[in-house]
Amino acid sequence: MYIKIEGLKKYYSDKLILDIERLEIEEGRITGLIGPNGSGKTTLMRIISGLDLDFTGNIEYNHSPLNEDIYKKMTLVTQKPYLFRRRVYENIEFPLKVRRIDKGIRRKKVEEIMERFQIEDLKNKKGHLLSGGESQKVSLARALVFEPELLLLDEPTSNIDPESMKIMESQIIRFNEETKGTVLIVTHNIEQAKRLCDRIIHLDWGKVIS
Amino acid sequence: MIAIDYIVEGLKEAIKLLIGFDQEIYEIIFLSLFISTSATIIASIIFIPIGIHLGIKEFKRKRALSRMLYTFMSIPSVVVGLLVAIILSRRGPLGKFDLMYTPKAMIIAQTLLVTPLILGLTYSLAKNRGKEIESIGKTLGAGRKDIILLIIKELKIDLIVNVVTAFSRAISEVGAVMIVGGNIRRKTRVITTTISLMKSMGDYPMAIALGIVLLFISFLVNSIIYKYTGED
Repeated sequence: MYIKIEGLKKYYSDKLILDIERLEIEEGRITGLIGPNGSGKTTLMRIISGLDLDFTGNIEYNHSPLNEDIYKKMTLVTQKPYLFRRRVYENIEFPLKVRRIDKGIRRKKVEEIMERFQIEDLKNKKGHLLSGGESQKVSLARALVFEPELLLLDEPTSNIDPESMKIMESQIIRFNEETKGTVLIVTHNIEQAKRLCDRIIHLDWGKVIS
Repeated sequence: MIAIDYIVEGLKEAIKLLIGFDQEIYEIIFLSLFISTSATIIASIIFIPIGIHLGIKEFKRKRALSRMLYTFMSIPSVVVGLLVAIILSRRGPLGKFDLMYTPKAMIIAQTLLVTPLILGLTYSLAKNRGKEIESIGKTLGAGRKDIILLIIKELKIDLIVNVVTAFSRAISEVGAVMIVGGNIRRKTRVITTTISLMKSMGDYPMAIALGIVLLFISFLVNSIIYKYTGED
């Protein structure tokens, strides 16, 4: 999915926290978003994901404004993911279920992605009882299971062990290569940005620096 | 000493009535449970989804709505009874249905009585905790109906506690059912109205027996709340 942002301004209690004149996110590529705390990265992700509609300016998704159809083609994974109070299997199944996908196909897709993330042992555990690292893996698996056209990741690998980080990074790359899905990832880890991204955007004080 | 004997005698008679399966007492108990359960179920099915919708939606005058809902949560049962009586009485707008002094009228009154409680508690719950669930649902592609169902499932423990609280209010109220039911023997007589009547008639064993049942129901209800909330 191709994203074009023009004249985006976001105020919070009369304070301008995001001011982006023009920004394009190329289709089918992995774009990194870096910047210090408070630079507006998370706000920008929430705006692009459609969770925050209180802004001025224009955002186009594949040359169209935000609509129901686009909502269903994108997803956001946050730093502190919220997993439902149900089994991990059902958590991952959820996006397929709301898209009314056949039960047999659902099972196949969920089991396949659990295997890729090496989380089969968590299948019957309750989502809300998992550790931080396990939650982040399950949350990314839940986001990738329906193969979104736009994957928004807000520090998805913070606070996890190197082995899990490796698995998650390889799955992000695999997703991008296999589905040509667009990825926008917020990270504080410059090395990770270099490993994953085709392009890096530097945000500071709500503006695109480079 | 005489006063204590009097109470002990009443208690003995009450237990005799209960373990002797006195037909009238059990009719009263079942009618009470039927009316309060029906009212709670009707109000829950209709107003839990509405409460969630209002709680997560941003709109003008949301604060005013909050205040209004919280005010109605403590509406006196006699006021509800009076309102329903006016509507259902022969000269009232729904008088032609001839519902006054029937169990149906009592269900209507108790439904109206517990509705603000169900709506207000659900609204407050969804306003505080539903937003995050709504956001996650949205980012995973859920539509409005799926989001409301998701919130119900995620908050089911709190919702059960709310429903049980509403049931407690219904089963223990006396004003509304007295006004619209008329406390007619073997027709509209429920636990609370019988206790009130028996006390005025000086028939303490029956009143005590029903008091014990009401306490037992209250204990059961609290046990359910504690089971779900995990409190000791």
